[in-house]
Amino acid sequence: MKAWSLAFLGALLLPLLAYAAPDPQDLLRASDAIRNPGRPFSVKVTLTDFEGGKQVDTSALVSYSRAQEEGGQFASLIRFVLPARDTGKLILRNGDDLWFYDPNTKASVRLSPQQRLMGQASNGDVVTVNLAKDYTATLLAEEDVLDGERRTRKAYKLGLKASTAASTYATVELWVDAENNRPLKGRFFAESGRLLKTVFYRRFESHLGRERPTETVIIDGLSPKSVTLMRYSDFATPPIPQAWFQREYLARFQPE
Amino acid sequence: MSFSKQPIATAIAAALMLISPATQASDAEADALDLVSAPEPDKKAPDATTRLFAEAALGSVSLRHGAGSRSLRRASIDVYHASRLSPAWRMTLSDRLDHLHPTSLMQGSDTVNSLREAYLGWDGDDGKTAVEFGRINLRQGPAYGFNPTDFFRDGASRVLTSVNPFSIRENRLGTVMLRVQHLWDGGALSLALAPKLANGPSANGLSLDLGATNNRNRSLLSFSRQFAGNLNMQALLYKEPGLRTQLGASLTALIGNATVAHAEWSNAEEPSLASRSSGRPDPVRSGNRVAAGLTYTTPGKLSLTAELHSNSFAAGESAWAAGSGAAERGMYLLTAEQRQDSAARRGALLYVTQKDLAGIRNLALAGFVRFNIGDHSRLHWAEVRYQWRQTDLALQWQLSTGQALSQYGLMPERQSIQILATHHFQ
Repeated sequence: MKAWSLAFLGALLLPLLAYAAPDPQDLLRASDAIRNPGRPFSVKVTLTDFEGGKQVDTSALVSYSRAQEEGGQFASLIRFVLPARDTGKLILRNGDDLWFYDPNTKASVRLSPQQRLMGQASNGDVVTVNLAKDYTATLLAEEDVLDGERRTRKAYKLGLKASTAASTYATVELWVDAENNRPLKGRFFAESGRLLKTVFYRRFESHLGRERPTETVIIDGLSPKSVTLMRYSDFATPPIPQAWFQREYLARFQPE
Repeated sequence: MSFSKQPIATAIAAALMLISPATQASDAEADALDLVSAPEPDKKAPDATTRLFAEAALGSVSLRHGAGSRSLRRASIDVYHASRLSPAWRMTLSDRLDHLHPTSLMQGSDTVNSLREAYLGWDGDDGKTAVEFGRINLRQGPAYGFNPTDFFRDGASRVLTSVNPFSIRENRLGTVMLRVQHLWDGGALSLALAPKLANGPSANGLSLDLGATNNRNRSLLSFSRQFAGNLNMQALLYKEPGLRTQLGASLTALIGNATVAHAEWSNAEEPSLASRSSGRPDPVRSGNRVAAGLTYTTPGKLSLTAELHSNSFAAGESAWAAGSGAAERGMYLLTAEQRQDSAARRGALLYVTQKDLAGIRNLALAGFVRFNIGDHSRLHWAEVRYQWRQTDLALQWQLSTGQALSQYGLMPERQSIQILATHHFQ
């Protein structure tokens, strides 16, 4: 009789266990792994800026990224390809260490996070960043969300809170596809609670061994008519040594 | 009894939004999702880096001492190319051709070619070790207006097209040298050896002008270290014949989210700047050069840099008051300009940039005021620049103020205004 009761209770609990909410930090890590390959990689990014639906600017850059042994966060070296006036200029980001380098003047200038937000590279951190390293996640809801392709998807809504001083955003709301852990949508907030960016990840294609988003739609929080599309192509895994990620290397940087 | 359909529809819509807000895109989001990315510029990002632009300037300058005014004209072509020849070898070539009216004070010629860089580089397999040989523009120091640790600055500026310190750097000649650098995680050590190749600068505008940069044997050893992400420092040892080894150090630090601090210092034992300009013998003495400042950036894209400069080799007020005439002082200022040294014993710089000026995208303001704290003279410069995709149009204004024999009051040009058009070739 006792055994029967336990079996009955077990049968009742089994479906509940199957539907138990996953660990939010694990979800965040899984979502990070879809955006970022697990080894040093380069990707070409084409940026298209719109104002009120009208295309006002285009630019292109190549981003070289490598996860750092200490802390696990990505360091990135961004090389501008277009527009022509910016060709060859570099931005190095390694945590708080931010440098702008112009080969014409040979000047490497340290940037504050505020200065970085003034330029195109400000959008880089919604692409190549290990959110799980800098944010603590909680599960806010399981809900349907409209994704970047205008499809309704069942998603986990995660609330991310900055856990390091190097985090660009104080809080983030991130919707992760409940079926496959794909990042679908993010809302990035300042410490004041002001919405800085709304981001949609879309056009998932197979690159470097798995399906990854190849386009990000970034809507300015303050001025929602300002939109940037970031298109990713030419994913590759060239040698990207750790020595690249310091100011002294910038003058030597010339990719193969 | 009939109900208006509109309030009901609104109420249903509101209720739906409350029930499931995430499935409803806002108008802005819906519009954004309809947008289509521009085509990629190339199938593959170019391996080589090439920048080529042509610039034309036209303006007018009003002169002091009743000399009236004169026109300014300039045409320039500027090219930079860097590429990898093999996995281990790379090359860099950087050149600029200026045609000027009136001619530069530093050059007698109205057409000046500046071969800024031409060198080969070899990189070790792990990317940590590099050897470079050729004409290399080795620039040191984080300060904006005066760089005490920039030991290869002397004689490197061939054509002065603007008083803006960032423009001065664009026209700077490299020094022929052999340079070896070794990097490790968070640090770097490098040695530069620059031989004497000629006795002095050339007046020929088409000359390589190796005598401007390689008129004595020089060597520089530098050590850089990164501390915890927000502090970077560099220590330098510089040696040239006849003078004691000079010491230098610089640092940059991030303070909070919006402020960057920088400082640089060098110590030397050398003749004063006044004795260099006059040719009068002067015993060498020990002294310091210092520049320190802060850059603060607002969320509104305004960046403000305030910097203090000190140069104990510059002429102080007492030396000025000792009765040197305008010609002697003019020569002194020219010597300081050629050596890229601070003519002021104590000076200050306020530098401002504003992106998206007046809310207009691609319109930027840059400007600065230089102060000679000792004689209270000032140099003002401002530029408004609009950028199209490949072309820039800029308006520049410059004004020098001060008493007759002060640093900036002595400049022949009192005020100038010029318009510049720059086309970047793709």
